[in-house]
Amino acid sequence: MSTIVIEHLARVEGHGGITVELEGDTVGSVRFDVFEGARLLEPLVRGKRYDEIAPTLSRICSICSVAHTLTSLKATENAFEVRVSPQTDLLRELLYRGESIESHALHLFLLAVPDYLNYPSAIAMGADKPAAVLLGLRLKKLGNLIQETIGGRAIHPVNAVPGGFGKPPSVDQLIALRSALMQGMADSDAAIDLMASLPGADFCHSDTIYAALRSPNLDSYYAGDEVMAVSDGNRAIVRAADYKTLTNEKAMPHSHAKHSNFRGRPFMVGSLARLTVNPRRLTGRLAVAMKRLKLQLPADNPMDNNKAQALELINDVERALEIIEQLLRAGVREERPVPVHPRAATGTAITEAPRGLLIHSYTYDAEGRVVTADVITPTALNAASMELHFRCAVEQSVERDEAVISRRLQMIARAYDPCISCSVHLVRRR
Amino acid sequence: MSKPTVGIFGLTGCAGDQLVILNCEDQLLDVVALIDIRDFLMASSENDAGCPLDIALVEGAVVSNHDAARLQAIRQRAKTLVALGTCAVWGGVAAMDRGADRPKLLEEVYGEIGPGYDSIPAQALHEVVKVDLNITGCPIEKEHFLAAIANLLNGDAPIYPEYPVCTECRMLENNCLLIERGELCCGPITAAGCQARCPNLRVPCVGCRGPVGDANPSSLLAMLQEKGFDRQRIANRLRTFAPEAAPEGVAQ
Repeated sequence: MSTIVIEHLARVEGHGGITVELEGDTVGSVRFDVFEGARLLEPLVRGKRYDEIAPTLSRICSICSVAHTLTSLKATENAFEVRVSPQTDLLRELLYRGESIESHALHLFLLAVPDYLNYPSAIAMGADKPAAVLLGLRLKKLGNLIQETIGGRAIHPVNAVPGGFGKPPSVDQLIALRSALMQGMADSDAAIDLMASLPGADFCHSDTIYAALRSPNLDSYYAGDEVMAVSDGNRAIVRAADYKTLTNEKAMPHSHAKHSNFRGRPFMVGSLARLTVNPRRLTGRLAVAMKRLKLQLPADNPMDNNKAQALELINDVERALEIIEQLLRAGVREERPVPVHPRAATGTAITEAPRGLLIHSYTYDAEGRVVTADVITPTALNAASMELHFRCAVEQSVERDEAVISRRLQMIARAYDPCISCSVHLVRRR
Repeated sequence: MSKPTVGIFGLTGCAGDQLVILNCEDQLLDVVALIDIRDFLMASSENDAGCPLDIALVEGAVVSNHDAARLQAIRQRAKTLVALGTCAVWGGVAAMDRGADRPKLLEEVYGEIGPGYDSIPAQALHEVVKVDLNITGCPIEKEHFLAAIANLLNGDAPIYPEYPVCTECRMLENNCLLIERGELCCGPITAAGCQARCPNLRVPCVGCRGPVGDANPSSLLAMLQEKGFDRQRIANRLRTFAPEAAPEGVAQ
């Protein structure tokens, strides 16, 4: 028996590894190991007041800190039946788009693309191909500018609070954002050029179940409270309050893993899932770009998640521009957050973090203190699907060279854009 | 002159301080041209995990024996060890209740296997090894990182504000959230350097940069109690990011 071990995955957020056991040509156990230290944030927020929860649980993850903040606020507001203003909804969606642009640009240009071109890092790639790295950095900066302007800080936003925003942006700030986004339109097209020029990554095929938020207007990371799962043309809906039937975390007897599955099968969340569940977004520039990337949905190759992220860069920039136009047309109101009246209740929220579905669910007491908190992150949801795809890649490989297989496994792991410190709600630890 | 060798590491945390480094979009390529980054797992798949380092930048808290062993190994390699961010400097959010019954919490979150995990109460880096420079913030400010690199390249240490957030807030002529609006704002005891980011947006300071040197949590406690906040709520707020910020004698 031999074992392929990737001790410490590089170019991902957090600490994880991969172990594949082989008996001749038969693949034995396949594990995505998480060895992130336990911070125990869910039990530690118990007893804290509702206005302290988002700033604390945002610290689960820096790259997804907007997603954690806004999902936390949405869960709290759901519990207390707070209805925020239409302006707040627009600003939150805009903030989400900023995070998505930053996160996708970081992932594609600094973490994933170096693999396709055989560089160990974007820094090394930058020595030969400075234009590609500078393009990525420009898009990243655009995402951060949106987060700084709307959220008050690029990481761990401070301006989004229960009921709304501390201080809405000024008209001048929005106009400055609009100019930056115009450059972003050209840059997101250039991102497609780069992605279309990369060599193929064709070493893992499988039928995949995709799950994503179904939004009422079909294009939101934040609105809506239904998840749609799609597989082989079949569709199923899960409502936010029933999220446990979706996550169905169960301990695996061989490994003490908690794995999420849908009707007994692993599922994938993230950009590729969002485009598969909400294909009506794929018109105009997106449809053209999709053709150039030779992406077909539903995809059977998890590496296509990288292409889907590039498509979302276009969509995020367009959507951010639309929101800004809408805000400027309506005029930005100097409004204060809607008052919050705590009560004993449970609130659950589901949104789309850059790397997929994110769920926060809290039970509060009558004074607005947390009794229980539950957080389910995209990387935890994806863990079972990642392992399935690792297995497929090894089984489907004609190449037996371990270095080649190991490199492919790492590329698949990165295509999922895992956020391992996000996997608070444990996948597996060793 | 040869470039200084640098390692950038994350223990347990959110990777936010490493992300701040990557967020220096306008300076990143210039910075990496001035230093020789040998070990940076978050950004590179080709690392020298054993070479001596002139500068080690370490973010995150120590929450396991594995973290402690990694930190000790980094310390042995490094001439200068820099703690990056509130978790590394103060312990951060994972340290908000170090007296908690850990095996019980582990079981609650991870099931019966939980208590067997390698898990210890969260510690700041200085509680485990000698730290040469602290850069606080959750996350650190970009400018503070760039200043540290510029100073270290010249053999200096940067100087960071040694006054509270209130000082910056007053310079911005903001209305006081604590005195005028009666909100629970940690500005008086929190280290400045963020340009009073939160109160400037009419949001109370949550103390994410940790306590300022001569902070007096007891007097803040008295002032807040006068405003009608209960001790428990104040203590919870003060120790969210730094256990040392909470006044003595207030239980979790």
